[in-house]
Amino acid sequence: MTNYIEFTSTEWDAISLSLQVAFWSALLCLPIAIFTGWFLARREFKAKFLLEGFINLPLVLPPVATGFILLLLLGRNGLIGQFLNDLLGIKIAFSYYAAVIASMIVAFPLTVRSMRLSIEMIDPAYEEAAKTLGADRLQSFFRITLPLALPGIISGFILAFARSLGEFGATIIFAGNIAGETQTLPLALYSAIQVPGQETTAFRLLIIAILFSFVAMAGSELLAKKLHHRKH
Amino acid sequence: MTALSIDIKWSRDNFHLNMKTDFSDGITGIFGHSGAGKSSLLQLIAGLEQLDSGQITIDNAILDNSNTNQFNPTHKRRIGYVFQEGRLFPHMTVRQNLLFATKYIKKDKQQFNLNEVANLLEIESLLTKLPNQLSGGEKQRVAIGRSLLSSPRLLLMDEPFSALDSSLRKQIIPYLIKINQKLKLPILVVSHDLPDLLNLSQQLLLVKDGKILAHGNYFELVEKDLLIDIMEKSGLNNMIPFKITHIETDYFKLSKQTKQGQIDLKKPKHLQYFEIGDEINVSLRPEDIAIALHRVEDVSIRNQLEGTILQIIKQGNQTYCLVDVGFKLLVTITEASRQSLKLKQGATIWCLFKSMALRVNI
Repeated sequence: MTNYIEFTSTEWDAISLSLQVAFWSALLCLPIAIFTGWFLARREFKAKFLLEGFINLPLVLPPVATGFILLLLLGRNGLIGQFLNDLLGIKIAFSYYAAVIASMIVAFPLTVRSMRLSIEMIDPAYEEAAKTLGADRLQSFFRITLPLALPGIISGFILAFARSLGEFGATIIFAGNIAGETQTLPLALYSAIQVPGQETTAFRLLIIAILFSFVAMAGSELLAKKLHHRKH
Repeated sequence: MTALSIDIKWSRDNFHLNMKTDFSDGITGIFGHSGAGKSSLLQLIAGLEQLDSGQITIDNAILDNSNTNQFNPTHKRRIGYVFQEGRLFPHMTVRQNLLFATKYIKKDKQQFNLNEVANLLEIESLLTKLPNQLSGGEKQRVAIGRSLLSSPRLLLMDEPFSALDSSLRKQIIPYLIKINQKLKLPILVVSHDLPDLLNLSQQLLLVKDGKILAHGNYFELVEKDLLIDIMEKSGLNNMIPFKITHIETDYFKLSKQTKQGQIDLKKPKHLQYFEIGDEINVSLRPEDIAIALHRVEDVSIRNQLEGTILQIIKQGNQTYCLVDVGFKLLVTITEASRQSLKLKQGATIWCLFKSMALRVNI
């Protein structure tokens, strides 16, 4: 009988690595996304459409292309990678960090979108009121805007987390498919499908992928609803 | 003493604002129709908008000066702003809302503490509630309290009555008078409702199309024929300051000295926050006053004041007499009675009204 429950250590590695990469990339993505979302929600300037286009690029660009760009920039012979390698001895490409960075970049536009929406839903009148009470821009951001955007921030975090769990194209190009180091769940699934006789492994990983994605999306929806209620 | 001086030129889209005046320490009502520039004026004073040219000073300190490129940002101005909708922070309790500004003021520079303000505005029982659990009047009071706790040197209020029904308006007005008198805090109140403003102050700034139409005492404006046109809809009213002479738990007494003796009023209501000797405006509608050429002996009306006609103002089919009886009174008369009594400027007449017609709006 086929065993659908007992995971091999390679499978466990892939699952735990996926969760770690997703967690770190979502967490690191968040502050930058909050700031960018706030900037897009609250500032008006002429070149805004250019910035928006640039930020949303990873959303529509083939992930493989994003991975390739990252490789060109951060690879050992890349623009920045070469500098990091020669001067500091840091190798990013084909490492755990590369997996995190690839996930961050791909999840970034989604997270910004979520941040921007939740900040746009907060009436700027509250920030104005805070100013008349002596708070400067930064203080009113931290005491008014941020707490009011909290459900949106959490939902943005979950969205980034979920998107990272599913990240494949950019990761395989930029971080490679190294078991135990950069082989996340989708990459392990891909490998299992490629090799004949690995159907059980593929099926087990598929179930986990569906489970993770469903929980994350349902949770994000729930929070979005809460935010909507708060707006009255 | 001058608290605030403005000389503002400011344009947005097709709207041009051009105002220059000085405000006193008391309560000034800013009156005009919607779109006249009342709210823009407050925003400019608060620094939420930046003027194109001119200067704003408060207690002789420069807030804005276009020549020297000085612009004091809103959070450094120490100007309280009570917004029309209150704008209480929805994620904070009433207490957190009230204490919001105290983080930004040094302890020794705080003019009031939480207890004083909560007590003055009767919001002690609300401190642990969230804004969405409050009624409109409660929100407004918390918003006023929150501004006061920022230790402002000037309080701006944008349509503070519009969200409130008439009984709540009567609740708020004594607080504002008290804040101004006891805390020595100048207040600018914007409203398009003149009777409400007059309950607060007779000092008015009339605004139209971004310009100042007039600035002065209510009766001065009436004399200059400036108010009648604007006030046609809301109705002209007399506001007479009475002194409080007696306060009991279930009633209070007011009186006004006149040449013909003292007018006394007794109102069955618990009066809070006022003391004996404080002044309260009592309203008397011009159509509730009758004019006689002599003192009338055999009549039930006891209040009869002798006065001189300062001016007869005709407006549409209405005729108003402005009479000086020691203080100024506006009286509505028909054209027919004006002719039959041969009323004209300078004539000596008697104004008759029942005590019933005197209304205390507090």
